[in-house]
Amino acid sequence: MPMYKALNVQNKPKFKTRFKPGPLALSVQRASLICALAVPFSGPVQAEEASREQLLKRIAQLEQQMQRMDRLEQRLRELETTAVLSDPETYVSRVEVFVDEDGVEHATEKPGTHSVVTYQRERVYRRQTINEKIDDALSGEAASRVQVGVDAAITMQYATQDKGSDGDADGEFYQLASTDLYFTAELAKNTIFYADIVGLSGTTPGSEIGGLTDINGYTARLRENDDQLNDLSLREAWLMTELFDQQLALTVGRIDLTSFFDSNAVANDETSQFLSDALVNNPMLGLSENGAGMAGVYDPKNGVTVKLGYQQSDSTATNLSDALFQMAEVGYQFNPFGSGEGNYRAWYRTDNGEGNLSAYGFSVDQKVAAGITLFGRYGEAETVSDGDDEFFSGGVQFSDGRGFNPSDVWGLGFANTVLGSDDEETLLEGYYTLSLAERLALSFHLTYIEEEPDGGDDFSYLVPGFRLQANY
Amino acid sequence: MFSHKRFVRQFVAVFIGLLAAAGPNALEIKGALETKSAQETNSTQETNSTQEIKIADPASVVVIVNRDSNDISFMDIKTHKIVGSVFLGNNVNPHMAMMSSDGRWVVTGGTRANKAYIIDVATLTLKKAIPVGFAPEHLAFSPDGRYYYQGNPDGDSISVIDMVSLTVIKTIPGFAEPLNITFTPDGSKAYVANYGSHWVGVIDVSRHELLKKIHVGNAPAIASLDPERYLGGIKGVSNVSISNDGRYLYAADGDLGIVTVIDSREDKVIKKIPVGADPWRAYMSHDGRYAVTANNGDETISIIDTQSNTVVATLESGPEMMGINFAAGKAFVISSTTGFLYVYDMKSLKTAGRIKIGNVQIETSTTDTADETLYLASSTDNSVYVIDAQTEKVERVANVGLYPWGTHILDSKDNYCH
Repeated sequence: MPMYKALNVQNKPKFKTRFKPGPLALSVQRASLICALAVPFSGPVQAEEASREQLLKRIAQLEQQMQRMDRLEQRLRELETTAVLSDPETYVSRVEVFVDEDGVEHATEKPGTHSVVTYQRERVYRRQTINEKIDDALSGEAASRVQVGVDAAITMQYATQDKGSDGDADGEFYQLASTDLYFTAELAKNTIFYADIVGLSGTTPGSEIGGLTDINGYTARLRENDDQLNDLSLREAWLMTELFDQQLALTVGRIDLTSFFDSNAVANDETSQFLSDALVNNPMLGLSENGAGMAGVYDPKNGVTVKLGYQQSDSTATNLSDALFQMAEVGYQFNPFGSGEGNYRAWYRTDNGEGNLSAYGFSVDQKVAAGITLFGRYGEAETVSDGDDEFFSGGVQFSDGRGFNPSDVWGLGFANTVLGSDDEETLLEGYYTLSLAERLALSFHLTYIEEEPDGGDDFSYLVPGFRLQANY
Repeated sequence: MFSHKRFVRQFVAVFIGLLAAAGPNALEIKGALETKSAQETNSTQETNSTQEIKIADPASVVVIVNRDSNDISFMDIKTHKIVGSVFLGNNVNPHMAMMSSDGRWVVTGGTRANKAYIIDVATLTLKKAIPVGFAPEHLAFSPDGRYYYQGNPDGDSISVIDMVSLTVIKTIPGFAEPLNITFTPDGSKAYVANYGSHWVGVIDVSRHELLKKIHVGNAPAIASLDPERYLGGIKGVSNVSISNDGRYLYAADGDLGIVTVIDSREDKVIKKIPVGADPWRAYMSHDGRYAVTANNGDETISIIDTQSNTVVATLESGPEMMGINFAAGKAFVISSTTGFLYVYDMKSLKTAGRIKIGNVQIETSTTDTADETLYLASSTDNSVYVIDAQTEKVERVANVGLYPWGTHILDSKDNYCH
């Protein structure tokens, strides 16, 4: 609001005209001075008397103006102390002082002193507007509360059989509604608690197609082979703390190890990238469900990361050591071709749930141009009876203005899974994610899946679908 | 016969004559008289202290802006001792300081006093306080040092101060939250970043007039589905960074997530480069090869090759990035609230660790002219941290003033504010 309105000043143009005491103005003032001095001395008495009355009248006007200015100044001061806060601000500073043997504090280090961190109130003249004060109060309040987030999605898919004997999924529609509720609370410095409760309702084509991997990644590692999902699950609940200048992060609780291991910049999230689980994770990880465990991530921010973790691999096991899934990963980020950054990861895991089986794998994403990123995964896992399972995937993602809208993303991916039993699955998926709003996205997916079961008839499906994703 | 009453009346008449010359601007006259009085006081102060030269070499000090103690302090680069400080007045809350190219003056905008302050560096005295527009923050000197452009973001104007007469000679209106001002090397034009809009203003410096507005980019058409996103607030252009040869300008737009490249010869947009989310501004590496944006929306940095004008690396960084400095072949990214400096190797374009300053809030930093040492303002512990860029050794200089907000060194290539 303009100042003259706040002050309820009627003759506002006065404030718009700025007095600039330049050389010309000073000359005019000098001339006025000379005239004012000359008139009383040089004129006749009558003229002097006449002008005296005029002068007295002018003096009265002047006094009125001066009084008015004083009132305005007073009101301005009041305004500054209320609408614009100018009272001294008080806050507490964390200060380092140096204390000598006698307990005397010094501001700087001196011989015989030692450093002590203490706290001290500061009183400063910092003027803040009411808006700034309110913002500070609100942000302080928000920081101390539990943060709640919601990630909701609806996926609709249609399956049409391409080849093979008639399958249950042919010509069927599938709809799945998924809602994740996140809770985050900062318990202490660099320590947070996080919980994710997911509610799923509906069906996915995977149960009727019967492929080796989940064709809808939303249901991965939650429930296996359910025809109809209608349940509430605790996906994750963990405590994380960061140590050693936040270079080491330890997470303990019910965790999803795929959030820590085998990550990929462009093929790792069923909520915004590919929908098929084979293009979100590596099946050779062998994680069928989330469980109690711990993950440690060492990241000195120099491009190298080291991760170690374990998790209960079977929720029906009566103790942790009987079904222990252990994993390690080394990652390296660098810019190998000068075209953009690349992330290269290698992992190894063991699972003593069904024999002491191990697996290893790689996950790579490499930017090749602005907005174009290639990715690839490879993995091999031991099995109980047959030969090793094997998996690889690859593809490309386009982003950063390579779509209809600047924030649109689209990608193409390919995945191949071959089990030791000679069952094989080949999957192709293309998607386009249209950013409708900052928190709302609509994506279109087209998936082709071909299954070649050992000793059975080959069959394939074409699965178009869409995903509506909201998070807030 | 002498009459004392007549003499008094004559004096009153003189006073009235003065007022009459100014017409209705009584308030302005009073203000002018007070300013004049203050000037006289300062002049007297200056006269008294001319014998006492406190800073003989203006390149030997780091200028520190202390927001809450309302002063500008000066630290010796070699000894790391505070040489002196200049108090500006209560509730001034200076925002950014800059030294004139001849090292004679340091100027700063008092955000809550709506005044520009001019400090004599040699004697460390306040030369003048000049009323400008609302909430003065960022500023720039013309290359010849003749003009001091003070941006007034809340007043949507630029105050032009003549450094010869030390007066405001013009107020250029028509901006939308003008933040940083960038002069071309020849001083003919100045580019004004408008954080409250998506355009860059071009000022003709010879006439001090807004010549044109360069549109940096369009909000996506689909934005109509998300009105709150674009109507709830605006994060436009905070700074226009200039290439070493003065030919190209790099304007990052926060809402649009782009860096727009402008050809300064024709004032024409030649490319729009998508970067990370909510880029704060582009910082030019000292060799001019890269422009690096701090993307606070996704906590990354984007490194733009200024030859090809393409993003050659997008690297993870920290939250609330307030600035980037370059020294010893590295980039140092200031993550304000975490107290970390994220380090990047500018040869391999990869991450190179991070430096923990402490559980403090760090603000902005300047780099010495040798590109060896950073001087980082740390507001919550009233300190400046001196960082050896090569060894990454950190030294704390405590008690520089209350809430140090920024630092400045004459002729540094990393003199910026936030």
